[in-house]
Amino acid sequence: MKFIPFVLKHLRRNWVRTTSTILAMAVCIFLFCTLRTFLRAMDDARELGNVTRLVTRHRVSLVYNVPLSYEGRIGQVPGVKRVANSTWFGGSLPVKKESQDTKGPGDAPDFSKFFTNLAVEAEPYFAMHPELKIPEDEMQAFRQDQRGCIIGRGLAKQFGWKAGDTFFLESFIPPYRRREGAFEFIVKGVYDADLVREPAADNSVMYFHYKYLYEGTGQRIAAGTYVVELEDPTKAATVARAVDELFDNSDAETKTETEAAFRADFLSMIGNLALLFNSIGMAVIFTILLVTANTMSMAVRERRTEIAVLKTLGFSSGQVMGLILAEALTIGVLGGGLGLGLSALLINALPSAPGIGTMVRGFPNFGLHWQVTSLGVSIALLLALAAGFLPALGAYRSRIVDMLRQA
Amino acid sequence: MAMVDVQQVRKVYRRDSQEITVLDGIDLQVPEGEFVALMGPSGSGKTTLLNLIAGIDRPTSGKVIVAGTDVAQLSESALAGWRSHNVGFIFQFYNLIPVLNATDNVELPLLLTNLSKKDRRERALTALKVVGLADRARHYPRQLSGGQEQRVAIARAIVTDPVVLVADEPTGDLDAKSAHEILDLMGSLNRDFKKTIVMVTHDPRAAERAHTQRHLEKGVLATNGGQPAAH
Repeated sequence: MKFIPFVLKHLRRNWVRTTSTILAMAVCIFLFCTLRTFLRAMDDARELGNVTRLVTRHRVSLVYNVPLSYEGRIGQVPGVKRVANSTWFGGSLPVKKESQDTKGPGDAPDFSKFFTNLAVEAEPYFAMHPELKIPEDEMQAFRQDQRGCIIGRGLAKQFGWKAGDTFFLESFIPPYRRREGAFEFIVKGVYDADLVREPAADNSVMYFHYKYLYEGTGQRIAAGTYVVELEDPTKAATVARAVDELFDNSDAETKTETEAAFRADFLSMIGNLALLFNSIGMAVIFTILLVTANTMSMAVRERRTEIAVLKTLGFSSGQVMGLILAEALTIGVLGGGLGLGLSALLINALPSAPGIGTMVRGFPNFGLHWQVTSLGVSIALLLALAAGFLPALGAYRSRIVDMLRQA
Repeated sequence: MAMVDVQQVRKVYRRDSQEITVLDGIDLQVPEGEFVALMGPSGSGKTTLLNLIAGIDRPTSGKVIVAGTDVAQLSESALAGWRSHNVGFIFQFYNLIPVLNATDNVELPLLLTNLSKKDRRERALTALKVVGLADRARHYPRQLSGGQEQRVAIARAIVTDPVVLVADEPTGDLDAKSAHEILDLMGSLNRDFKKTIVMVTHDPRAAERAHTQRHLEKGVLATNGGQPAAH
């Protein structure tokens, strides 16, 4: 403890160099923690899917729809309790929100306010999603109005919507666009997701009647996916196989998988983010290791005489090595702490950020997890130790007379 | 018994395949309370002998016994501990730590003791008082003159109350007035605090302050080197 002031005073010697090294370390830990948080959130999204439900989609890609006739056939597969059409609409608020003027063609969608909106068959869909809590009177009002929609509490907060409010959405998916312009929706209810029951539930989704979309597009569309509720979750694999075998050798073969696997597939459409994020993280860590090692080497080289003096005064080689490692560790602690703080600030702010906020809110448990924090701190300390080790070892091994002679 | 007893010391440096003998069979005894000046031309081995006495270098052969301890027999860490208690080193270029003020510089060797922070402070201030720099306690080396810096360095050397002070050209970087003051101070430490001092110097006027002058020539002590100094 008594050496701490001594270490801190040495770090202040060249404060520009020390500050820049701390900032470099902070950027490294900031990037690492932020990227790891995204990777973790994606892993959680993969793992936390409900096991009582399957998702059936086109075997080739989510881009292709599956025929509406499949719904009845899937419902007859042994072990299937319910089937519900769930089609991703891909709608955005037009730039001129809540204005009839937006109905004209050519209005650009406002992707900064993009959120998930699904056209569903209300009765079976909400029956198999008990984690979405909707007051009965609001559900009743939703059933009675084809333009009605149910929105998550998160969306209600984000846009200040309440029951009775109207807004327009226009899809960027060609089959879901119409000549008349955007679809008009009326908020009929607000749901709360029961995250205890279903950690992957999303509080920022809008649900509306599939029938409205179907009729609004001239009855020419099919189903994006079918959500299949199982009678027995332990039979998931058998039922999934049975569903897919039903459509083998057809024009639209299917792929049925658990919700978790479906989420993983959906996320993988973005690309191999894990590889990309990990590569960026490793490159940054390696660069910072070189920067910090160079800083420490310069700091020690400049102080050869002082190291000789310390040893002459009676400091053992181990103590001198310890002082240099303590300096490196201090840089690691300060840089790591700063990076963690910045990362926490960003991660807390992201859900309310325009554009990316919608995606982030879709991740269950999005936040700076203690495991990521611990890993970030460990990396900062290990980087600092690794960077300081060689200069410290050099000081440890150096002979007093040699250093004094070179001074 | 001599405070410093150097017996048949040889020091050989190896440069590539060539061996360079810096000290060749040196015998030197310095009684307790003595003030010895080591003189000689550059390359004669003065500083090497001083380093051996201070325990910051080891002889190739022979014994260096200081305060009853054969320093060549100690391990590296034991030698470091021994230096912290027994030797005060005064460098030609002061070698103060620039980021520490005068008190912190003087306190530095005390960090190796079990003294409390308060006691360390008190001792450092006392040492600064002894060298006449109590009023510069919070000054940094860059704010001090050369003479003052050397006085702080002397305070640092005496703060642990070592039995031997070794000084390597302590006035070599000072003007005549400052050099005079430093030599007065060293004389006082020898006279009033009974410190045994071994000083390397080129300056005959500095050497005159010592009780004894020993001359080194090509790694060998001159047999008639013991010239009594005028007190």
